[in-house]
Parts: sequence; C-alpha cells; structure tokens
Amino acid sequence: MKTKTEAKRQAILEAAAEVFREVGFERASMSEIRARIGGSKATLYNYFPSKEKLFFEVMHHAKALELEAIVGALNQDADDLKQELVHFGQKFLAVVYSPEAIAVRRLVIAEARHSDVGKVSFERVTVPIEKRVAEFLKRNMKRGNLRTADAKTAAMHLLGLLESEALQRVLLGVIESVKPDAISGAVRRAVDVFLSGYGRR
Amino acid sequence: MKKSALKRRAILDAAYRLFRAQGFDKTSIAEITALAGGSKATIYSHFRSKEVLFVECMMAAVEDYMSSTLKHLDTSVDPRVALEHFGTSVLNFLCSPERLEVRRLMIAEAARSGTGKLFFDKIAALRTHVSAFLSACMQSGKLRRDDPDLAASHLGALLEAEILEPLLLRVREASPDEKETALAASRAVAAFLRAYAPARLTPVPHGQLNCTNRFC
Repeated sequence: MKTKTEAKRQAILEAAAEVFREVGFERASMSEIRARIGGSKATLYNYFPSKEKLFFEVMHHAKALELEAIVGALNQDADDLKQELVHFGQKFLAVVYSPEAIAVRRLVIAEARHSDVGKVSFERVTVPIEKRVAEFLKRNMKRGNLRTADAKTAAMHLLGLLESEALQRVLLGVIESVKPDAISGAVRRAVDVFLSGYGRR
Repeated sequence: MKKSALKRRAILDAAYRLFRAQGFDKTSIAEITALAGGSKATIYSHFRSKEVLFVECMMAAVEDYMSSTLKHLDTSVDPRVALEHFGTSVLNFLCSPERLEVRRLMIAEAARSGTGKLFFDKIAALRTHVSAFLSACMQSGKLRRDDPDLAASHLGALLEAEILEPLLLRVREASPDEKETALAASRAVAAFLRAYAPARLTPVPHGQLNCTNRFC
C-alpha cells in the first residue's frame, strides 16, 4: 500500500466536505466521495476507515471554528448587555441548529459509546465555549451589570437556556430544523429569563 | 391479563434484564428470545426493532420512577423546596448509566428511525406534569404569570445545564452522588425562581420599609 500523503488527505477532506454539503451526512456515501477524487476504495478507506470518521474530521473542526468565532466576538465591554446577549444567542443557535452541526452532535454522542470522540469534542468545543462565556459574564458581574455569582455555573445556565426550547427535539429528530424566527423568539425568551435570574435587583 | 399482554410483559422483563446486565450492543434479539421463550417472530410482532424494544423497556422502568418523582411537585409546600427535591430526583434519574445510554441511543438513531420521536413523547408526558405544577404556582401568585410550558422547558434546561453533557459524552464515567445532584438542582432552582419570581409591587421609597406585609 502506498504511503499516505497530506495532499491526498486534504483532497479527500475537500471532496467529502463537498458531498456532505450537497446531500447531507445520511445520504452521503463513500463511493460518491471516492468518485470525486478518483483512486480506489481501498485507498480512501486507508485514510479514513469510515464515513463517520471522515464526517467528524470535516465537520467537527469546521463547526468548532464557527462557534469559536461567535463566542470570541462577545464584547464584554458592550454598553447594552441584553442586546449583546441576544446578538450572541442568535448567531450561536444558528450554528448549533444547522443540519451539519446537528449531524456532528448526533455522531459525537453515538460514538461516545465506543470511543473517546465525546471526550475530544467536549474538550475541544464545549470547554472553551463555556470558559469564554464565563469570562464574559464575570466581567459583567464586575461591571455591576449582573449580580455576583459563580460565573461558570451562570455560563452553563445561559447556554442551557438558549438551547432549552428546541435542542432535544432537533437531536431526537422530532423536528427537522428550527426556523430563524423560532430561533429569535427562543433567544429573546432565554435572555430575558437569564437576565431576571442573574440581573441585579 | 391477555395472553399477548403476558407475552409482551415477559419479553420486556427478559430484555430489561439483559440490557441492564450487558448493554444495548451486546444484547441480541436471539438472547432475548432464549430468555423470554417463543420465537424471534413473536418478539418482532410486539416490537418492530431492538431499538424500539429498548425504549419501551427503559420506559417501563420509568413508570415507577415517575410516581416517586412527581410526588415532590406538591403545591402545598414552598415552591423552592418542592422544586429542589424534584430537581434532585430528576437528576439522579437522568444521570444513571442506563438513562444516559437510552439518551445516547435515541439520539444516535434519530436520523434513521422514528424511535427518537417515541422517546420524546414519553419525556413530554413528564413535562406536562411539571407545566401543570408551575401553572398552579402562577395561579396562586407564587410565580409570575407566563407560559407554563416555556417555564418547564427553562427549568429542565437549567437542571441539566451543569451536569449532563460530560456524562452524555462520557468525559466522566462515575455518576454524580446525591450531594452533587442536589447542589446542581439548588443552583438551577435558585436561578429559575429569581427569573420567574412574581412581579414586585411599586418599589417602596427609602425610609418607608416598615411594612410587615409579605408582599413587601
């Protein structure tokens, strides 16, 4: 068997990303991906042993970067905390509820049963997001915009509230997707509840 | 009980024992058949797949749990006390290895079968009880008036927020003890009650805080 090259690996990842974007995870096949890059099925499997692994490589990283950018853009010195949270919540949920992110999340949860994929994803995505949101909230506690509380718990409460209306239903396939106006409404309601729970009295 | 209902019960019992002992993947329909008696065809006439059987038998175990958990939702006690006890009980249940495995499987299967919907409907039934309790609290002025279903979703999310994800993703294996779930529940309930506290009357100007009325 030929030695693996980085160029080939990248070519596979790009072709796979294309196929996943076009037909989604469920309908994508390894043969379709192989057809785009040429070469044998054995070569493809030599790089990525399964469609799941390939999808994880392509999408997990991409979604992680998107979420990172959104969380990174939180301006902790913004004048209007509520507006900043609503803005953040909408961008965040738009990515969380995207079909690709939902497919990745399902895959990570499924794979967590057999491998350390869950742990990798948690450390790579969940932990940094919670940390950054906690820093943001802590700064706002110091500025007197929020009551003093455990910032880490507050961050998890905020993220939980944002996802509260639809995440379980989407993950369980009860609904296919969440429409933008449903996201806006859910974010407003979650931010209102968060600010009443953590605001200063 | 009818013969068919008895058979169904026997299959559920056998499946539950095997799933608990060795997990979902390692349990085969053939083994369940061997333990419950009858044929594979009989099992499939009651349950269309191993996944459905799994949801059903895990949900059968829920019935007992439901009644013991829901009794905490007592409108005659302080909502904080009721919700903390309820929340701790819910978390102890959700964080048990079997429940986590059910949730993982349902999410994993969601795209392929209607099992996720089946599972969600069962959760929704529990949610209805929580909504009814919150609605009663709103009626009696213990909570501000709002959509009780929304409030129930918010409460559920707050309860799970600190504790569930690392367990679901198996970042940690050991189930939390009662102390940890009680702490997570009390923080969630504190945030929830602040957020859903009844609207206060017009603020009393400084120097006039001598009223002993409970609305002050």
